[in-house]
Order: sequence, then C-alpha cells, then structure tokens
Amino acid sequence: MSAAPAKTPRWLLLPAKLGTFIMLMAKQVGGLSILAGKVLRRLTPGQIDRHELFRNMNRMGVRSVPIIAATAAFTGGIMVIQAAPFVEQVQATSFIGWAATFTTIRELGPLLIGLIFNGRVGANNTAELGTMMVTDQIDALRALAIDPIAYLVVPRCLAMVSMMVLLCVIGDAVAIGGAMLTADMLLDIDPRVFWASAMERLEPWDFWVGLVKSGLFGIMIALTSCYYGLQTRGGAPGVGRSVNASVVAAAAGIFIMDYLSTFILD
Amino acid sequence: MSARSQDVGILEAAKNVLKDTRAVWRVFTKTIYFLFRGKREKGEIARQMFHVGNESLFFMCITMAFIGAIITFQTGLQSKKLLPDFSLMGATYLKLLVRDLAASVGALPLATRVGAGIAAEIGSMVVTDQVDALRMCAADPIDYLVVPRFVACVIMGTVILIIGGFVAYGSGMLVAVVSFDVNPHTFNNFMYLNLGDVAMGFLKCVVYGAAIAIVSAQRGLATFGGSEGVGWATTEAVVGSCFAIIVLNLIISTVGYFLVPGVGPL
Repeated sequence: MSAAPAKTPRWLLLPAKLGTFIMLMAKQVGGLSILAGKVLRRLTPGQIDRHELFRNMNRMGVRSVPIIAATAAFTGGIMVIQAAPFVEQVQATSFIGWAATFTTIRELGPLLIGLIFNGRVGANNTAELGTMMVTDQIDALRALAIDPIAYLVVPRCLAMVSMMVLLCVIGDAVAIGGAMLTADMLLDIDPRVFWASAMERLEPWDFWVGLVKSGLFGIMIALTSCYYGLQTRGGAPGVGRSVNASVVAAAAGIFIMDYLSTFILD
Repeated sequence: MSARSQDVGILEAAKNVLKDTRAVWRVFTKTIYFLFRGKREKGEIARQMFHVGNESLFFMCITMAFIGAIITFQTGLQSKKLLPDFSLMGATYLKLLVRDLAASVGALPLATRVGAGIAAEIGSMVVTDQVDALRMCAADPIDYLVVPRFVACVIMGTVILIIGGFVAYGSGMLVAVVSFDVNPHTFNNFMYLNLGDVAMGFLKCVVYGAAIAIVSAQRGLATFGGSEGVGWATTEAVVGSCFAIIVLNLIISTVGYFLVPGVGPL
C-alpha cells in the first residue's frame, strides 16, 4: 500500500484553520493593494475614458439618490427617537439638535450610506465585471490592445469615490431634515431651536470628517468590488459567489476603515 | 441594459416600492401559513441554522467589536466636548445598545452576509429551473425553500445579534477604559436599563431576522435573466433588507417611544 497523505492531527486543526485564514486574508489584502497601485498609475487625466466615466457616474450616483435620501431621512429620525428618552429625562432640549446632527454627520450617515451603496453599487459592479470575466470579454479587450484596467476599472473607481462623497453631502442634508421633522413632531422642538442648537456647536471639521470617511468607504467599495469582479472564475455560479464574497468583504472593510478613521480624525 | 435600470420618476419609484412591499407581504403570509401547515423536511432547518448562525458568527463578532469601539469613541468625543464627565457613559451606552444599536446596526452586516447568500442560492435555483422542477413535484417552493430559511434566520439572527451585542459591549468598555480612562466598574452601570429596553431590543432582533429572510427570499424567487439576474437579485436583496430594517426600526422605535418609554429604573 502506498503511503496515504498524512492526515492533520486533531490538535493541529485549529492552528491550521487559522493559518489558512491568515494566508487568505494576506492574499486578498495584497491583491487589493496591487489593484490600487495599478489604478493609481493610470490616473493621469488623458488616459481616462470620459464617456465611460460619466456613464458610470450617472448609473452609480444619480440613480442611487432616492434610496440614499430615504435611508438618510430615516436615520435622522431614528437618531432623534433614540435620544428622546434622555432628552426628556434631563430636559436638554437645547442639546438634541447638536447631539443628533453630530452623530449623524460624523458617523452614522457615512456608515449607513456606505453599506447601502455597497449593496447597491458594489454588488452590481462585481456582478458586471464578473460576467465580463466569465464570458471572456475582458480577454477580448486585451486582444484588442485595450487595457481593461484603464478602460473598465479606473472610471468605475473614480465614479464610485466621487459619487459616494456627493451622496454623503445629500444624505447629510436630508438626515438633518428628517431629524428636525421628527424632533418637531415627537418632542415639540421647534425646527429653529433645533437648527440653532446644531449650528452653535457643530464645527466645519465635523462635516469634513464625514466626507473624508465617505471618500474612504468609496475607495474601499470600489477596490473590493473591482478586485472580486476580476477574480471571478467558474461560470455563472462563480459570478454569484464572487458577488457574495465582495459584498461581505467590502462591508467588513468599511467597518475597519471606519474604526481607523474615527481614531485618526479625532 | 435590462428594464431594471430605466430612468424612472419619483411617482414610478414610489409605485415600485409599493409593489415590492406587496410582493414581500405575500411571501410573508404564505411563509406563516406553511410554517404551521407545511411538511417539514428533517434536518433542513438545522442545516440552514448552521449557515445563518455558525458561519456568520466570526464575521459578526469582528464587525460588532468594531462597531462597539466606534460608538464608544464617538460618544466619548461628544461628551468630552459637552462636559468632561464620563461617569454616565457606560449607563447610556448600555441602554442605547440594548434598546437599539446592537440590533439595528448589527442587522445591517447580517443582512449583507445572510441576505446575499439566501438570494444568490434561491436565485440560481430559479434561473436553472430547479424551482419549477420543485413545483412540478407538487412541492411549494415557499414551503420547501423559504420556511426553513425563515425559521433559521429568526432564531439564529436573534442569537447572533445578542452575541454581537455582548461583543460590542466588551469592545466598547475596552475603548472607554483605554482611551478615556473610565473605571470598568463605573462603566458597568445598569442604572438606565429597564425591562422595556430589553423587550424592545429583543423584538427588534426577531423582526430583523424575519425581514432579512423574507425580503431576500422574495428577491431570490423573483430572479429572472440568467446569471446576470442572480447578481441583480443579490444586490436588490441586500439593499431591500437594509432598507426594510431601517424602516422597521423607525416604526418600532416610534411605537416603542410611546408604549415603552424606557425612562426610569428596572
């Protein structure tokens, strides 16, 4: 009898699993970094396909406005409702405007918008690139001497990052509106009092933090969704698999990014 | 491009939301019917519970740890500006976490992971005609496919969100101790928490679990158009369940604000 491949002993199973996981993580982070480098190298203005860029901006940004606006309005309302018991307890009606807008603008707005954007645009992008990959369209581009990264990936990344930041601006405005409306209806706080309270303590820096965060989330979503799209193998089921993996990876990336940026942008 | 990406006005979009809501409602009522009347396949629910629960546990723990850290850090920054007193930070954080954040923020990554999986699985069954084959065998796809996923999502979703809440509490405490020098004993303050908050949090966990399963299953069953359609269904499942969670949160929170005020001791 020939020697059977050595079976992993039981006590080594956990470290082996951990090691596989770490290697997989390293491979993905490395792949993302390489893709980021490739995109950065092609960022000189002349090389970008302008038609493709505008098409993607419209598709990813403009069409996401309704869902983002609805999400933001609800988020603003929820923030006020959650703060309401505390406000009633200490009678701090003059703080609620600031408390709700501060958290929404700096933290919850970019986070929720990022997650929705990831589900809507990131997943769609992976599916599209993945379908192109499994139907050999990307190899066809290469055969025509068209660089797939410059033609497909760079415009998408640019569109996603810029649209994510702009959607965050819209989201901030709508969220403040939703919060004002809820405060007025639920707690009888005059919108002018709410606005004054928000304006008194909010700093321009808070607004910029939100925008920087959303830009970072945009970069994360763009790179992850393109990377997983281009990694797709194995026909139609492979597309589904990579969409799933991309959405989950980008969501995890968003949370890690958020954590780091919250600490750095103190 | 398919019919899904046509330009639509606000009125049309509202009509679509209404139509989707009705479709989801139909799947929900049918699921409830088959939950009591349907045939049960042995082991299927356990298998789905493993998929929803055990396999997302790691991802959810990581995410919730980051969420907890982010929220405490943000709260700390906010209260440092207002009054440099961190004695009530733990109590406030615990109440918010139990009442809302553990369930509502945790449900979004859960929806991303579980919802995308359910929609991709059912969607690829639909486009490969497996669901029609089921119908031919006189097995209702809702009874056979949706009910086990529904039960698994409700049970394991609740379990995972509660575990995630504990993880978020732990990481929040860590950040409070390390970054703001809060004594752990001061942080462990159950003063503001009462039974109403626990009931609200638990209700939210159950409802979100159900929403994720039903919305994703409905999107999966409505898949059309080959492998690209599966990608679309996944996208819509993630966006739809996230949106459903946010809307349900607003509804439950508003009703809870009036019915279960959550002011006062346990």
